[in-house]
Amino acid sequence: MSIVSDQSSSVISLSMYHDVSQFLYREAELLDDWKFRDWLELLSEDISYTMRTTVNAQTRDRRRDIAPPTTWIFNDSKFQLERRVARLETGMAWAEEPPSRTRHIISNLHVLPTDKDDEIDVRLNYILYRSQKERDVTFYVGMRQDRLRKTEAAQGWQICHREITLDQAVLTSHNLSVFF
Amino acid sequence: MHKKIDIASLVDAAEGRVTPLIYTDPDIYQLEMEKIFGRCWLFLAHESQIPKAGDFFNTYMGEDPIIVVRQKDGTVKAFLNQCRHRSMRVSSADSGNTRAFTCPYHGWSYGVDGQLVDVPLESRAYPQGLCKEKWGLQEVPCVAEYKGLIFGNWDVTAPSLQEYMGDMAWYLDGVLDRRAGGTQIVGGVHKWVIECNWKFPAEQFASDQYHALFTHASAVQVLGVKPGSEDKALGEGQTARPVWETAKDAVQYGQDGHGSGFFFTEKPDANVWVDGEVSAYFRETYPEAEARLGKIRALRLAGHNNLFPTLSWLNGTATLRVWHPRGPNQVEVWAFCIADKDASDEVKNAFERSATRAFGPAGFLEQDDSENWTEVQKVLRGQRAKNTKLCLEMGLNQERLREDGIPGITNYIFSETAARGMYRRWADLLISETWDEVQQRTEQFQQEVLK
Repeated sequence: MSIVSDQSSSVISLSMYHDVSQFLYREAELLDDWKFRDWLELLSEDISYTMRTTVNAQTRDRRRDIAPPTTWIFNDSKFQLERRVARLETGMAWAEEPPSRTRHIISNLHVLPTDKDDEIDVRLNYILYRSQKERDVTFYVGMRQDRLRKTEAAQGWQICHREITLDQAVLTSHNLSVFF
Repeated sequence: MHKKIDIASLVDAAEGRVTPLIYTDPDIYQLEMEKIFGRCWLFLAHESQIPKAGDFFNTYMGEDPIIVVRQKDGTVKAFLNQCRHRSMRVSSADSGNTRAFTCPYHGWSYGVDGQLVDVPLESRAYPQGLCKEKWGLQEVPCVAEYKGLIFGNWDVTAPSLQEYMGDMAWYLDGVLDRRAGGTQIVGGVHKWVIECNWKFPAEQFASDQYHALFTHASAVQVLGVKPGSEDKALGEGQTARPVWETAKDAVQYGQDGHGSGFFFTEKPDANVWVDGEVSAYFRETYPEAEARLGKIRALRLAGHNNLFPTLSWLNGTATLRVWHPRGPNQVEVWAFCIADKDASDEVKNAFERSATRAFGPAGFLEQDDSENWTEVQKVLRGQRAKNTKLCLEMGLNQERLREDGIPGITNYIFSETAARGMYRRWADLLISETWDEVQQRTEQFQQEVLK
């Protein structure tokens, strides 16, 4: 188990990996259970929560560092995420009325130390399953780059950065009304 | 067509009735592709997206894939993205820069001018000779630009773009012509699929301010600033209340299938969901806009628009979009953020933030629009439902011409004048063989409306 023994390299310990994965599973649970106010508690005040569009670029252009432009799908601060939660609470957020049933599946967790003692990076793949209304089903699949910060609070960590990649260039979902 | 559809009986614009079969029937959809998307002016791209020779942008006219490409002489051409040999797509990136479009299937290669320039093994495979001049990419015969927006039309007998737009150009100028530098697209394109007929979003942007009060109640409630909760503002300078609560009066325009609606405000205030930085920018640049456009349009920083059939935009919020049809039951939205070229980068970023916050697939407002349309389309699977006439009577027979410089057939904003005009134009196009006939029918209807 070189992962555990090699403390000097950038490899994180098994206990840290366990700690981080349990925290992220707990976070996913809160979202799936519609406990959005509790979920907000896991986000730092300075969180940046973003998703940009995905594009098809020619390899020739990519080599020249030219790519089709992208734009924000999410570009949210804590305040704006709180406003999204407040919207759901109005009972008139029709995209989520009645609310979608979601299952956040996360895997391929790659945990890396950062240059700050109290922060770590996690790269992971996700499948976000959404079942809505009578028979609407959507799978959102992609990658997330999270940064977690150690906190004194009971949950142990706070999310201070979430950069979401959704692999579809043309989204086959009529809206993105759930949290990633 | 295997059955005869009486199009005229499905749309009764004079009485305000529409039979929802028009949103579901596959034969009607095929007819639309031929008679509407085959001969109306369709938005292709903004000139700022392809500034240099060889720059291309891939889009659609109806369901036909189209390459829009800047030529060496600075002009713009548009081609069907289809190899003439076996119909393969010759360009697959969303956009880029190239010297040639080479088919991945057998390697036929076309110049940016559409000419077939290279055929692998030409002399061995075509010993009898191949007339390459005959096998260039199929060019869209009519391409025209209006203040930065590039349009295409397959029909050489169609009226000019300017004539086709008619009075709608006056409303469009309110977005395109606020400042000397014109406009540009900021950032990339939101692309997403909604399981609904293309006419639902097109009609809503033409004619439906009415839905905003209820459909978007949640967004307005959480994004609008209330007295005592100023900490919940979207930056300094944000407009406090939605325009429909503060405006004095309002207007809807509907003519030649196009539609628009807006409120009259006393101050140049953008809508409540727009960034404070953007709202402040509109106030600062108001004198320039007023000098260019006059008071009415300079003050117009909200409201809805659709240029028939599928180009929609919202003033102030800076979203411009095309509803690409994808069969009777599906639409693919392509939404762009459009902003004044002369604005600072910071303001452009704020425009992009605002457009994304409110609109796009995750937008506070737009999430709920797409929810309505998909549910409507599901209901219309029902045999009774799709044959049950819908009420399109709002503001019926209240149409008038104004004397304050606002052009065209108008009504109060809460009306369905533009929807009735849009469906009537739609029917006129489907049942008429020639553009002269289309124009005559539309003209006749519009005279009746104003009687």
